[in-house]
Amino acid sequence: MTKDLETKFLSELDKHQNIIHKVCRTYTNNDAAHKDLFQEITIQLWNAYPKFRGDSKFSTWMYRVSFNTAISLYRKTKRNIETTPLIENKVDFEYSEYNDKKDRQLDLLYKAIHSLNDIEKALALMYLEDKSYEEIASTLGITEINARVKMNRTKTKLKNILNP
Amino acid sequence: MTQLENIKDLWKQQETENIRYSKNELQGMMVQRSSSVVKWILIISILEFILPNIIFLVTDFEASREFNEKYGLTNMVNVYLGIHIMIILGFIYVFYRNYRNISVDTSVKMLMHHIITTRKTVKYYIYYNLTIAAVIGFHMFYEVFNSKAFLSTLPEKTNLALIWIISSVLFVLVLVLLWGIYKLVFGFFLKKLNRNYQELEQVE
Repeated sequence: MTKDLETKFLSELDKHQNIIHKVCRTYTNNDAAHKDLFQEITIQLWNAYPKFRGDSKFSTWMYRVSFNTAISLYRKTKRNIETTPLIENKVDFEYSEYNDKKDRQLDLLYKAIHSLNDIEKALALMYLEDKSYEEIASTLGITEINARVKMNRTKTKLKNILNP
Repeated sequence: MTQLENIKDLWKQQETENIRYSKNELQGMMVQRSSSVVKWILIISILEFILPNIIFLVTDFEASREFNEKYGLTNMVNVYLGIHIMIILGFIYVFYRNYRNISVDTSVKMLMHHIITTRKTVKYYIYYNLTIAAVIGFHMFYEVFNSKAFLSTLPEKTNLALIWIISSVLFVLVLVLLWGIYKLVFGFFLKKLNRNYQELEQVE
């Protein structure tokens, strides 16, 4: 029975691991911290899995546990950045001389996200993932109206950082 | 917000570019030990429950019984001890109940709320201990300073008021020091959590 549960969990985890990688890249700024947080999220997911009833999608549940781990449970001083201002000059999404333009742009986007606070990071990530306001509100535990207001503020902040 | 829409496209393209862990690596991670804040909170809290009362474990019971009898404190100490044990048990029950409420698959705000509530139980426990230490301490001072056994040992021209003041100031200093140390430990653990909680609470 436990083996079945483990196999099922492992297959879901493998299928959706991209979600955890995005959360880790959002909340950490180096490979070691990324792996450390990934591991902590995996442990938390596995510990909570026996109680997962499938009322929500596995991926929705995974977001919730991942954010909770990143925001409230994970504690490593080496991990973060907190709210370091973006040192780069204007981030130009229209023009680049580099061949790896997309990688560079993605790096800059993550740098911009790193300068947000922990709650805004979650909002930014859910915005980029096209989550509904209903899901955003229930993940964070706030009202939909409040989620909309906070989202607008986060989007404006992000836009200002990317295009000062 | 069109620029942000462009970013969304960029964001979606990272799907295939990300690093991936193999199933073996994932399985290895599942069985690792958690280093979460909640685990540390439990360890620290248990220590905090034990530490204020550790003095009982190193007490020379015979000597303290003799001391209490000499200054007529036996009844008073027994009453305080009875009340103290009941209150400690109450705190442990509330702490355990709050701790059980901490669940990683609730909403972000609810998880923070439960962690903060659990820590608050310990905070009040520490405040209670400092208060009861002050109450018992001053009560004992009062009884001892008024007992014949103590007064008869003093030289004739002793300034009792001065002894009172010095003892009280020293005692209060120790309490303040303990309170300060505790505030540091408490703040260290909850600073980030409190800030994030405020951020969610705040309604524009």
